[in-house]
Amino acid sequence: MEKEAFDILSATVLKEHRKIKWFKLSLFFRKKSAVMALAILIAGIIMAVLGSAIAPYPDQGLGEVNISERLCPPSAAYWFGTDTYGRDILSRVICGARVSIFGGFFIVICAAFIGVPLGLWAGYNEGFSGGLILRIVELFLSFPSTLIAMGISLVVGAGSITALVALIIPWWPWYTRLVMGEVFSIKRMLYVEAAQMLGYGKFYILWKHILPNILTPVIVVILLDLGPAIIAIGLLSFLGLGTQSPNADWGLMVWEGASNILDQWWIAIVPGAAMFIMVIAFNLFGDALKEILEPDRP
Amino acid sequence: MMIMRCPVSSETTFPLICLDQINTWFPCEKRMFGKVSSWVKAVNDVSLDIFEGECLGLAGESGCGKSTLGRTILRLAPLYSGQIRFLGEDIGRLTDKKLKPYRAGMQMVFQDPRASLNPKMTVFEILKEALHLNAGIQKKDYFEEAVMLLNMVDLRADHVFRYPHEFSGGQQQRICIARALATNPRFIVFDEATSALDVSVQAQIVNLMGELKKKLNLTYLFISHDLSILEHACDRVAVMYAGQIVEVQKARDLFLSPRHPYSKALKDAVPVADPELPYAPGILKGEVAKLSALPSGCYFHPRCIFSRDICGKESPEKCRMESNTWVRCHFHEELFKQGMLFDSKESV
Amino acid sequence: MEPKIQNLPILQVKDLNLTFNIARGKARVLAGVDFNLYPNEILALVGETGSGKSVTAKSLLGLIPSRSKQVSGQVLLDGNDLLSMPDKVLQSIRGKRISMIFQNPHSSINPLFTLGEQVFRLIRLYLQDEIRELTKKAGIPPTEAVKRIAKEKFNEVGLRDSHRLFKSYVGQISGGMAQRVMIAQALLSSPNILIADEATSALDVTVQAHILKLMTNLCRQKGTAILFITHDLGIAAQICDRIAVMYAGRIVEIAKTKTIFSRPLHPYTKGLLNAVPKPGREGRLSFIPGMIPDLVNAPRGCRFYPRCDIARPLCREKQPERITVDDDHEVSCVF
Repeated sequence: MEKEAFDILSATVLKEHRKIKWFKLSLFFRKKSAVMALAILIAGIIMAVLGSAIAPYPDQGLGEVNISERLCPPSAAYWFGTDTYGRDILSRVICGARVSIFGGFFIVICAAFIGVPLGLWAGYNEGFSGGLILRIVELFLSFPSTLIAMGISLVVGAGSITALVALIIPWWPWYTRLVMGEVFSIKRMLYVEAAQMLGYGKFYILWKHILPNILTPVIVVILLDLGPAIIAIGLLSFLGLGTQSPNADWGLMVWEGASNILDQWWIAIVPGAAMFIMVIAFNLFGDALKEILEPDRP
Repeated sequence: MMIMRCPVSSETTFPLICLDQINTWFPCEKRMFGKVSSWVKAVNDVSLDIFEGECLGLAGESGCGKSTLGRTILRLAPLYSGQIRFLGEDIGRLTDKKLKPYRAGMQMVFQDPRASLNPKMTVFEILKEALHLNAGIQKKDYFEEAVMLLNMVDLRADHVFRYPHEFSGGQQQRICIARALATNPRFIVFDEATSALDVSVQAQIVNLMGELKKKLNLTYLFISHDLSILEHACDRVAVMYAGQIVEVQKARDLFLSPRHPYSKALKDAVPVADPELPYAPGILKGEVAKLSALPSGCYFHPRCIFSRDICGKESPEKCRMESNTWVRCHFHEELFKQGMLFDSKESV
Repeated sequence: MEPKIQNLPILQVKDLNLTFNIARGKARVLAGVDFNLYPNEILALVGETGSGKSVTAKSLLGLIPSRSKQVSGQVLLDGNDLLSMPDKVLQSIRGKRISMIFQNPHSSINPLFTLGEQVFRLIRLYLQDEIRELTKKAGIPPTEAVKRIAKEKFNEVGLRDSHRLFKSYVGQISGGMAQRVMIAQALLSSPNILIADEATSALDVTVQAHILKLMTNLCRQKGTAILFITHDLGIAAQICDRIAVMYAGRIVEIAKTKTIFSRPLHPYTKGLLNAVPKPGREGRLSFIPGMIPDLVNAPRGCRFYPRCDIARPLCREKQPERITVDDDHEVSCVF
């Protein structure tokens, strides 16, 4: 009886569950803002992945100089004009997408991989180790994150990779605190107590009972954090502590174009707009996801 | 391979669980170096025997420590002092590792069925988790055993792969009962297990509990604030106040002739669903005793209308009455003889 | 102590329907609620979860916030339909003529203000005449007058230590005391009707007994009618004059308390009464098989049909009408 019954039962019930999941997905697609956001995100990711392959002037995107055509306004040849070195802005934006978008993902995911487990541990055990983690978190949280990142960049040396690592360090404590808060509320739930009653240990309970139930808010926060991450990278580059010339980077481009902002506005505004659009897209996407996954939370 | 569950025909008088002067105190304030300045004394000097095959009720209001007592027996709350003997073995001081084999023997069904089931796990996974603890069943038989458990609690086999939120409150509580049965326990604590349910569902669950008890020869500790349910479903009922058990009596007797002033007040305060019976709740002065600042002597004395000098000074001892019933009151004999604790309209 | 029940109802609810628009469709939460409330009586609205009793109470006062709802029917207070009144007029009625107290006193009283602040504000709002009287006649300054009135009201509900309470916040007092404060606030303006929505469900049994006694005494004194919403048949039996039994958005039976318990007519009422444990009753408790119907796809006929043990095919088709069996005993069942 066992194996066949198992299969039949699981098949029928799984079908039902799949139907419910499709229904939820359809709710997502009903929102125009969400679909638009998704489209922008996909465009951004394609830009980041393909990079110089789709840029109209790949070499310029990577930094080659074209003095003869410097400071050209947007035209048929150069859709968004050229910068002070004559490089096509559009190509630079496309090539710079890689650092910004992937960099954003990198920061947020690394920070999550550090912060979430620490948060789980500290939230569940309120002993000495938990208290220690909490103190460290509070210490980091009392300083503005960009300031810390700047400090680290200055000490270690500028560069895109160092900027990313420098940003991860003040970023993870936020996740730890978020997770700790979630764990506190889940910890008291009766099913956790039931698992304890069955004799299961800490690690099992954290992994099987607590983590799945805090995953949703954490995922939503991660998505909503991608926007600020992109801005943070841009800020560091703007200050000269991130990507160095002649590599393309949105923040760097804004800095380079800042002095010419009144006459040749396109040099600074276009990459700035790219950042802006990307951030809004992430926000809208995150909000829509939040509505589906967690309709009851404020 | 199914486990044989042998029903015992006659009622034995073997105490399955012996509690000896149990104290469960929670530290309230800690000074710098771990010295505790004040305690929340949830369970105070409780000594109780729970006999095999009986259903013992535990009554009391919120904050009296009854839930804590249930959890203490199952080692879910920190025991401060005293002995817990399960089938003769002292389990009060065992480490988690050594305790594991005993955990299968005692299980608990909690108050809120929705919160007792992990919303991200299917029923099958929940039951599997519990079956893990049952040494007699092998992995390949988990599915069959899970279906059998569900049938035992009147749920269909196709519920096995559903998520808890797809069920009603009553069904969720049945799943919790199935989980409790999965480890083949001898003793189950029901901590306000029916309080969150509607009246008609409550009736179903209580009936189910009774059937299972008979079929599988289980022993129950039924914690509730609802005296009517306890009187209906239990053999003996213990009344708890401020962490102490003030009276233990047979269920019917407790209703007809309570021996402790608090029991009487509690019983009177319950509105019975019969307009013919009188509703005359007695006057209880003051507020419920705080577990962090217990009164001296008898804990109930500040609120007792019969209290005298000695009540504030000495804590009353246990006075045994018939088999396995006792009261903690200085004057229970006197009050009983004078009929102070009877309703005016009821006869002895 | 049987109060005189006059013949003219102070509140008449006629064919109250409430439908919520939710993602899955339309949920008909209330499907034709009919009942009368007479002055100075205590009417119990009994039902299990999902029966619609709380929703009924809230819709009487127009407290249902959702925009995606449709309401029809009439709620007549002295002949004026509350449902068709503009919000401003309704506001003057809420608190003044109809008051409401809720289940959890700790979340119904604003935790940010002291109790004194809240009570004083209410007194200034509703008891202007009394304040004026005290200031003019006895020459007491207004603030002092307000305090004195507040103290009197607190004493009425059994709260002695008014001075300390005025300065306390709701989180500092126990549930029983907080509920007394709520009752004091609700009865300040001597309203015609008090709606108690599971007012004692969160309290301990002994505290509940006191609060029930308090409520009934005060209301008899002031002539306030109480609409007591509860799932506890015991409370209904002991303190209420009449009981209305609700199931799935309809009132299925309404009669005097004694009648309901001695001669229940509707199968649901009978089932409910049999499921309640009574002291001295042996054996199994009977129960009602099945679950409440899905309100989105509610059955066309009698909503109790799937669970009824005396059902006939007729029940599935037609909604049963309200039949007046006796003086004051009405049932919604074909039998």
